[in-house]
Amino acid sequence: MMSTAIFVAVAIFLVLFLLLIMRHEEVDEQESVQADASTRHECRDALQHQELVFRIFSREDREFILLMRSPRLQRIYQEERRKVALHWVRRTSREVSRIMRTHRLIARQSRNLDAGAEARLFFQYLQLRFICGLLVLLSKTFGPHALPDLASYAGELSQLIGRAVPDAAAANHVASSGIPGTP
Amino acid sequence: MSNPARLVTMNNAYDDLLRRTLSSIQSDLARLIYLASTRDYNSGVYHHEGLSARYGPESTRVALRAAHKDIFYKLIGLSLEELVNELEIYVRISREAPTGFIHTWQELEPYRVAVPMEVDSTMVQLFLSNIRLALEVLRFRQEHRQADPSASSLQPLLGR
Repeated sequence: MMSTAIFVAVAIFLVLFLLLIMRHEEVDEQESVQADASTRHECRDALQHQELVFRIFSREDREFILLMRSPRLQRIYQEERRKVALHWVRRTSREVSRIMRTHRLIARQSRNLDAGAEARLFFQYLQLRFICGLLVLLSKTFGPHALPDLASYAGELSQLIGRAVPDAAAANHVASSGIPGTP
Repeated sequence: MSNPARLVTMNNAYDDLLRRTLSSIQSDLARLIYLASTRDYNSGVYHHEGLSARYGPESTRVALRAAHKDIFYKLIGLSLEELVNELEIYVRISREAPTGFIHTWQELEPYRVAVPMEVDSTMVQLFLSNIRLALEVLRFRQEHRQADPSASSLQPLLGR
């Protein structure tokens, strides 16, 4: 019961924290919104969205910089990529908010609203806002390569645990057999 | 001129631009800089005397604008290593001393005016960021070469 309460409290805290960050991001972005108005009539024939994301978070570029073995270059690279990643996350978030605002205006005048579809859409919107907040947090804290890094770190950890468990079992077995000289 | 006829003229102007002018330029970065130089700084309108004489000013503007965006998208799609190579070729074409070139580009950031209008703002950020990084890589290689001249034969700054 106690652990459930703690879990719920942590979840609420995390959501509130992310909302606070998003709010802060929105205030920061107010000034740049006008300058960024061009995004509303951007070229649709441009590089695909996923390709752009691939380029921003490219491992190939990162490995190229790592090969230089220069801490200064690595620092500059991290900083540059962080800026671009944050720009992309903020712009995506802003673009979706704009679409949702337009949708709300249209939905208010609609006579045959599908409540289920609207709820699903709103849930997806919240999900996206949450993910954007998480991405901002991760990018600011750990850098733009946080997500691939975290995934590979998790993989490494699971391998370590996988290797550690048989070792521990073997050690326990040896220890319990009472062979002298074993720890 | 009817719309289909105008479209054909624009396509012809575009093909002509690629075939006669851009194909003679050695790298995509140099092509981007060249195309940006055909655009008026104040009005943003593209001009090209030769093309205008053959296809008219309107078709020429459309062709130049389209080519400018196409080259820009191509550069955005390059890896950082490929962009560094593009920049190396551009430094070589410029015939400037690499150190002076890098310093000037880092100080004045002239590549900012090479960005076409009405393109995705994240792409613009990525392009500017990548150019800054490519300049840093060239600078690092240059410093490395000056510090260790024997390494120049293994990792020359230009013409790899």
